[in-house]
Amino acid sequence: MTAFFPSKCATVGRSLWGSLGNNSSGLLRASQEMITKLSCCNFYSQQRTFIQMRTNLKVVDNSGAKRVMCIQALKGKKGARLGDTIIASVKEAQPRGKVKKGEVVYGVVVRAAMQRGRCDGSEIKFDDNAVVLVNKQGEPIGTRVFGPVPHELRKKKHVKILTLAEHIA
Amino acid sequence: MRLEKCWFCSSTIYPGHGIQFVRNDAKIFRFCRSKCHKNFKMKRNPRKVKWTKAYRRLHGKDMTQDSTFEFERKRNRPERYDRNIAENTLKAIKKIDKVRVDREAKHHALRMKGKKAKEQREAAKELEQSIHMVKAPTALQQEPSFTLPKVKVQVSNPQENRLMEE
Repeated sequence: MTAFFPSKCATVGRSLWGSLGNNSSGLLRASQEMITKLSCCNFYSQQRTFIQMRTNLKVVDNSGAKRVMCIQALKGKKGARLGDTIIASVKEAQPRGKVKKGEVVYGVVVRAAMQRGRCDGSEIKFDDNAVVLVNKQGEPIGTRVFGPVPHELRKKKHVKILTLAEHIA
Repeated sequence: MRLEKCWFCSSTIYPGHGIQFVRNDAKIFRFCRSKCHKNFKMKRNPRKVKWTKAYRRLHGKDMTQDSTFEFERKRNRPERYDRNIAENTLKAIKKIDKVRVDREAKHHALRMKGKKAKEQREAAKELEQSIHMVKAPTALQQEPSFTLPKVKVQVSNPQENRLMEE
């Protein structure tokens, strides 16, 4: 585990250093604190990052897929966040569903473990990474959505997903 | 804009502060700062953590039931804006806060009361037992009372006169 940790540190650290150039000076201190947090090696504090290639996500609609692996995050150099669209490959699917294993599909991230800032200054984060499969036009393939969804989707024009959702966070 | 309460410490969360955590069962936890958030991640029970309001209310350190708390209950119906009502509400908030603070101070005073007798007994005991820390025991034996009688002395202030002359 000790051998694995520095490599993990390095990848996350690299993404953090990359973001330092873009961030304003106000966030600079926060990023530095995050880096020092990494170096303290707490097993409590998990550093949550973007959804990138090879990220496994849970599928929360009834399109037939169960687990999906991200192969590309459209928009965003470092990866996708809450509300973004991704291209994914279906890794695990239910036997009789609209999508089969091995298919390449589009998805909208509806829950992300990484916190996303809201326009009022607060931050929101969820318990896991979850995705709703959509077609190229952005319409959901399934007919139901499970679990809470954020209302960031309204701004991204995924209104159909919001109507199907059982709880809007 | 809505002022929320921190789930862990029950302090108010002003806009622009804190993190909201949404669990998969759609329960929303709001935290005022990372201290509360980290304690939550450690799975600590706020009722057992001494500095939280939950602990203090549970153990009777703070007021639990009061009519001033009724004013702060969450209302889900949005009210139509009326300038007079808004003005009156602002005045009322100030007054209610003052009343609540006064009542809390009284509750605290009541809690701290009943110690005078105990303190006096302790002081007398300490005087009896530890007087050797202040005065040498042989000195006490020589002269039973060492306290000199108080004498009032008129202090003349020549400096003040000089200043006044100038």
